[in-house]
Amino acid sequence: MGSLVLEALSKRYGSSTAVERVDLEVAQGEMVALLGPSGCGKTTTLRMVAGFIPPSGGRVLIGGQDVTRAPPYARDTGMVFQSYALFPHMSVAQNVAFGLEMRKVGRAERDERVMEALRLVRLDHLADRLPRQLSGGQQQRVALARALVVNPAVFLLDEPLSNLDAKLRGEVRMEIRALQQRLGLTTLIVTHDQEEALTMADRLVVMERGRVRQVGTAEELYEHPADPFVAGFVGRCNLVSGRLEGGGFRAESGALLRCDSTGAPADAALLALRPERIRLDPDPAGEARITAVTYLGAQTEYHVEQRGTTLLVTRPTPPLGDPMRRLAVGDAVVLSWDAAAVRLLPAA
Amino acid sequence: MAALVLPAGLLVVMLLVAPMLLLARISLNRFSPTELMVEATTAENYWRAVQDPYYQQVLGTTLGVALGCTVLALALGFPAAYWLARMESRWKSLATILVLFPLLVGNVVRSAGWMALLGNEGAINAALMGMGITSRPLPLLYNTGSVVVGIVAVVLPYMILTLAAVIEGIPRQAEEAAANLGGRPMTVFRRVVLPLALPGVVAGSVLVFILCMNAYATPVLLGGPQFKMMAPAVYDQFVRGNNWPFGAALAFILLAVTLVLTVVGSTLLGRRYRAA
Ligand SMILES: Nc1ncnc2c1ncn2[C@@H]1O[C@H](COP(=O)(O)OP(=O)(O)O)[C@@H](O)[C@H]1O
Ligand SMILES: [Mg+2]
Repeated sequence: MGSLVLEALSKRYGSSTAVERVDLEVAQGEMVALLGPSGCGKTTTLRMVAGFIPPSGGRVLIGGQDVTRAPPYARDTGMVFQSYALFPHMSVAQNVAFGLEMRKVGRAERDERVMEALRLVRLDHLADRLPRQLSGGQQQRVALARALVVNPAVFLLDEPLSNLDAKLRGEVRMEIRALQQRLGLTTLIVTHDQEEALTMADRLVVMERGRVRQVGTAEELYEHPADPFVAGFVGRCNLVSGRLEGGGFRAESGALLRCDSTGAPADAALLALRPERIRLDPDPAGEARITAVTYLGAQTEYHVEQRGTTLLVTRPTPPLGDPMRRLAVGDAVVLSWDAAAVRLLPAA
Repeated sequence: MAALVLPAGLLVVMLLVAPMLLLARISLNRFSPTELMVEATTAENYWRAVQDPYYQQVLGTTLGVALGCTVLALALGFPAAYWLARMESRWKSLATILVLFPLLVGNVVRSAGWMALLGNEGAINAALMGMGITSRPLPLLYNTGSVVVGIVAVVLPYMILTLAAVIEGIPRQAEEAAANLGGRPMTVFRRVVLPLALPGVVAGSVLVFILCMNAYATPVLLGGPQFKMMAPAVYDQFVRGNNWPFGAALAFILLAVTLVLTVVGSTLLGRRYRAA
């Protein structure tokens, strides 16, 4: 039995459905990310767990207890809001102490635990500041400390990094993950950023239009996407429509692409191939042509057209002086890949 | 720019300040039954007003009614303002108009409405007697209660709109965070909503208190001839007694008391805000 369980959780607004029968189990100490494009129902799901939105159907269980009808204050969850939602009239220490006061923790223990939580997020030196006297990153860490200090049964994060600049985001990401693992917090995090989800969570839940498309580890989702949406949303992916033919895959444009069709669904209509799994070699006799080259520092991206089908190829940028470095638009190349690198998927 | 602003500024100063200056000057003149007013520079009008037990009582009544009405308007207005501020946008403008609606009707007309409701032949007494609950009409009109009800009804929209503007600025997520941390609704209100709404409480109370202190039509119409508040007393001096100097002195005493209480009250409330 998971520490947090969602059973067929649904939310309808009039005739539109924000969340449709979501099932999920989060184990004790596990961090699960809800990942999906904007508007797919991530926040609604999280807020139903916290108790801010009454579900239209289904159940929420925390620690085995049905809390579907329980008000927010009676649920043992600690939430970090996207906007942080600090109390503007209270100092950092008062903000962090609030949850302990509500739990009637005595003065001495409260002060101790507040300072401990602030040390954890390295803000103990700013305990007496007001939220508006802090930077965005510092406010974010106060919000973390405020939610953590009460030792919640479930830790909830709604796009916690979206208001931070890119550099800070990477740091805070690591910091949240380290805290979560150190404290063994059962965590549900919402994000639309796949990199965030891939690097932080034990498991990911890919959502689209209110439904769960696939649940799995980062590796499972990346290597074995269940459908074209997941293949396209988690990492980048070449998706070519066509059908199985002989031992290969006949693209609609006519090109025959190499693939391993053993175990492929009979109705396979899409070939999924990660851009970094494609090898690319200069060959004047090759029938593929480079149509675009994008230098990205560590990597270089090539758009390569082969008999009407354009594939994205990413390669580590070759060292200076390497003949590959001189590849340019219009050059003839040969593409190749292992048959096992290909995933065959049913139509979208 | 200054060339444009200056004339307008002067005009505003004239409109606001000139009558006050004139009134201040008049309050220092001496009343004469034959000549009405004699040029002088004397504080005797003020002395008379301060020492006369009648006017002490009028001022006391005015203060009591104003404070009571302010507290009542705050207590009634806060829930309404919260509800208005947190309303979904498409209903909000309609609700705002509904709150404003009473202001479209003048105080005199509205007081007449209350008279029709509370009077001996009024709707309430007629209903009570019709149902046999009482055989003689209840004295609902012409007392402190009817005046307070009438004034609260007048000032309530000001209180609600002032509070709602401030409550709207309180992030809903701060309330949610408090609930998430274990705060029950009353605790969330006391620890988060109220402290953050305090600037609105101060502004609304000051505004309403000033309106109550200066209430004229409502106490005259709903209080009856025995009930006296300061603004009607000032009017009596100017119009009935033709004693302009004394009326002006009364007006300035009313102004001074209102000002002092407003400053003291808002400072005290403001200090609590900083402490919270
Ligand atoms: N109060 C509401 N009334 C009507 N529709 C809503 C409401 N809240 C959210 N929705 C709809 O539900 C869907 C999911 O919203 P949300 O959970 O916020 O998405 P996400 O967090 O994944 O971006 C969206 O299409 C949104 O328009
Ligand atoms: Mg969201």
